[in-house]
Amino acid sequence: MKPIVFELFANLERLAGANECRVDAGEETVTVADALAVLAEQRPELAGSLERCACVSGDTIVRRADPLPADRRIALLPPVAGG
Amino acid sequence: MYEVLSHTAVAVEPLLELDAHPECGGLALFVGTVRDHHEGRQVHHLKYTAHEPLAAKVIRDVEHATRERYGVPYVRIVHRLGDLSIGDVAIACVVRAPHRAEAFDACRYAVDAVKHGAPIWKEEFYADGSSAFVEGCCIRDDLDAPAATPHRHHSHTSHG
Repeated sequence: MKPIVFELFANLERLAGANECRVDAGEETVTVADALAVLAEQRPELAGSLERCACVSGDTIVRRADPLPADRRIALLPPVAGG
Repeated sequence: MYEVLSHTAVAVEPLLELDAHPECGGLALFVGTVRDHHEGRQVHHLKYTAHEPLAAKVIRDVEHATRERYGVPYVRIVHRLGDLSIGDVAIACVVRAPHRAEAFDACRYAVDAVKHGAPIWKEEFYADGSSAFVEGCCIRDDLDAPAATPHRHHSHTSHG
């Protein structure tokens, strides 16, 4: 089991009470979608908000079907409201 | 490189470049400011946060795309982050163009694109001491069923 770190923003950060969330995942966790499933299972209070989040690695949006980023860090960006 | 995200008050005048672009006869400027109400609630102040690496990239991409799309030489956008009071500048967008039509159109396009695409969040603090994040636009690009969460356009019109 190796940790995956999710960076949390806005409402997600408020729900979790922290700006980061670490989950342990095994080798069967290979895609972004797999990682989100692990997060939803381990942190049910976040599960309902994940569908509308974009996932970002560095400064690039990654898709659910993409492989888990090599650094095992994913930023979860809920719907945006700038301006 | 110039900043597109600012943690301090945004000064509009330096963005105008009035002493440059002699081929341009038009300047369109949009300034979004913090309003004292939202959906019937009295707003006391607000806080903007961002995923800064992606927000900066999105805003620079919008500047570039707007120049290309409208054939205008100068598009400059700054979005404020941090704690803002009523009346503070939240976003400024300047377009220089040969003529007014493309200046207005390009300015509107650029502001809308930033509001809908840049990962920036607005937390409003109300007169009763509570706070809430303003509901916004999902920026996933692989969402199969966007109809499941209707676009709430009233939440995009914060400034107008």
